[in-house]
Amino acid sequence: MPLHDVGYRGWTGRRRGPGQAIGVIMTTGIRLAWTSRWLRRALLFAWSPALFFAASFFAFEQAIDEGRLSSMRDGARMGRNLDGVGMLGTVLADTLGRQSGADAPKTEEEEIAQTRRLVWSRLLLAFVRAPQAVLLAVVVGLIAPALISRDLRAKAWLIYFTRPVSRLEYILGKGLVLAVIIAGITMLPGLALWLMGVLVSPSVWVAVATWDLPLKVIASSIVLMVPTALLALAYSSLTAESRIASFAWFATWAACWIAHSSLTTADMMAVANDPAARVDRDPSGSLWGDFDAALGGADRPPPRKVRWFAKAAGLDPAIDPWAWISPYHSLGVMQGWVFGIERRPQAILPPLVALVTLSVISIVILWRRVDAPARA
Amino acid sequence: MQASDAAPVVVDGVVKQYGRRTVLDRVSLDVPPGITGLVGPNGAGKSTLVRAMLGLVRLAAGSVRVFGLDPVTSPRQVRQLVGVVPEDECTVPGLAAVEMVRYAARLSGLPSVEALRRAHEVLDWCDAGQERYRPVETLSVGMRQKVAFAAAIVHDPQLVILDEPTNGLDPIERRAMLGRLQTLARRHGKTVFVSTHVLPDVEAICDHVIVLAGGRVRLAGSIESLTRPAAAETRLEGTGPLDDLAERLRRAGLAARVADPRGIVFPTPDAAGIAAVWGAATAAGVAVSSLAGTHRPLEEVFMQAIATSQEPGHAAA
Repeated sequence: MPLHDVGYRGWTGRRRGPGQAIGVIMTTGIRLAWTSRWLRRALLFAWSPALFFAASFFAFEQAIDEGRLSSMRDGARMGRNLDGVGMLGTVLADTLGRQSGADAPKTEEEEIAQTRRLVWSRLLLAFVRAPQAVLLAVVVGLIAPALISRDLRAKAWLIYFTRPVSRLEYILGKGLVLAVIIAGITMLPGLALWLMGVLVSPSVWVAVATWDLPLKVIASSIVLMVPTALLALAYSSLTAESRIASFAWFATWAACWIAHSSLTTADMMAVANDPAARVDRDPSGSLWGDFDAALGGADRPPPRKVRWFAKAAGLDPAIDPWAWISPYHSLGVMQGWVFGIERRPQAILPPLVALVTLSVISIVILWRRVDAPARA
Repeated sequence: MQASDAAPVVVDGVVKQYGRRTVLDRVSLDVPPGITGLVGPNGAGKSTLVRAMLGLVRLAAGSVRVFGLDPVTSPRQVRQLVGVVPEDECTVPGLAAVEMVRYAARLSGLPSVEALRRAHEVLDWCDAGQERYRPVETLSVGMRQKVAFAAAIVHDPQLVILDEPTNGLDPIERRAMLGRLQTLARRHGKTVFVSTHVLPDVEAICDHVIVLAGGRVRLAGSIESLTRPAAAETRLEGTGPLDDLAERLRRAGLAARVADPRGIVFPTPDAAGIAAVWGAATAAGVAVSSLAGTHRPLEEVFMQAIATSQEPGHAAA
């Protein structure tokens, strides 16, 4: 017996109220997940795309500082390909090429403010929509499958459900583990990009002018978090083998992506064979809309290396009719809506319904499965 | 046992079915203060009864009250008052022993610093302090059992429910564990409910015992009353000519018999009779080492209850 053993003593302190369990489950889950070397590497890698986007922010503000915005606008209106300066050029070509008519800014300051707002929005949208959403799928696939399945295998559910922990608290605690990690992939680097943009801009008042962008980054991250965390946890609750849950997670993303690509390709082939259908599908009359004009004419599609970015940044005006079939593409559409770049109901509703359905099914599965062993 | 409001746990007419199989069939019992043992063969419904006490299973009929609270409608309040050591090993892989006990404390509502202090304290009391920084999944079975016990009592519950608490413990640790349960019950006023197959454990520490078989309560009562023989008998143990002593007692009117080479048994006499027994022992040259009332071994009581329950057409106790 140790010298400092004081024997058994009662405890009469004041207990914390309901809800503490959520924070306890979350912090412990994050700490356990953080012990994975692969997760630490993946998170570090997940910040690397931010460097490329940071370069675009810097180049844009540098162009403004050097007074090159007017010449770039003229170039874009004449159809000059600005892709030579990378992602920024792609966004600028579209943004500057559109500025005409009643919406055109009256003064140079207005033009700068308007252009900055649009360019930053599109860069941030492209950032959270393309590289971060893919990295999110990978990182969530690394940690989420074990979150509940490990509890089932180690019978740790007995630790939770023999204590004052409700199903809701358990699910929220586990969900917040994922939410925090997802925030580390999308929200934090997105906010860091905006902050860096403010710091390299000529005035700190840019922060006031673009105040809504950080909120949009947060909102788009939440759009990513909710369905992905629920789906990943639902898979995890269905099996005591995390490998199976992990396989199901990646298989879902891959299969839906392939299905989306196949259907889209089939659609494009049909459109190519029937020009009348092209107008039906896209009110702008072109699958690539103004973007083609800005990059060298409607007859020539944008270069393949730019196409992913054009879609991610919301430059492609065509409605993706099959977005609802793939979580990745559905989430992209919803993020475009959050950033105010996609506003058409016919584009937003199918993915929205698909994601809500997916989330509801996941919640039902989770609700029934998390304490199923206790009831068996 | 008759239900009473004073009992920490009152189970009244509980029926639980899984599909067509009735696991608990109109079970009514009390768990009084002190240490109560729940014994029964495999599949008797012991684990289901424990889960019913925690509100984890939906009952077809009947009710359970834990300290007057319904575990189904007030699960949070009930579980704050209860600590459970499950039969199955349950761990959170990756956590050290002290972290796991602290985790359990925090899930029960203890503040962070208090949870850590309590975790160290109860691990020391459970004699698991030397292994506290090792991950739980690397601990021996016995050490894991002690950590699970520490996690169950870290929030100072009023009712401690243990399912096979001495599983995986060596004889010394087993005795120490039983001693801890007695300390909790006798010195700290906790109600301890032990579900086990190990009848000597029940006999050693329990005040009351409940025999559950086939989803029904077959026997319930204090150990003393259940193991009391039908006719009061006294056993004398000693060294010397026990045959001669037995003969002398028979001549004195006591139907004595040699039970085994160490003792003889006879109907419990009155005070004068006891004096006569001492006199006969002195005359026969027997050195008496003990003279005490006999009791039936709990195992015999248990086997009889189980055998009765398996008779065709037997009604519930």
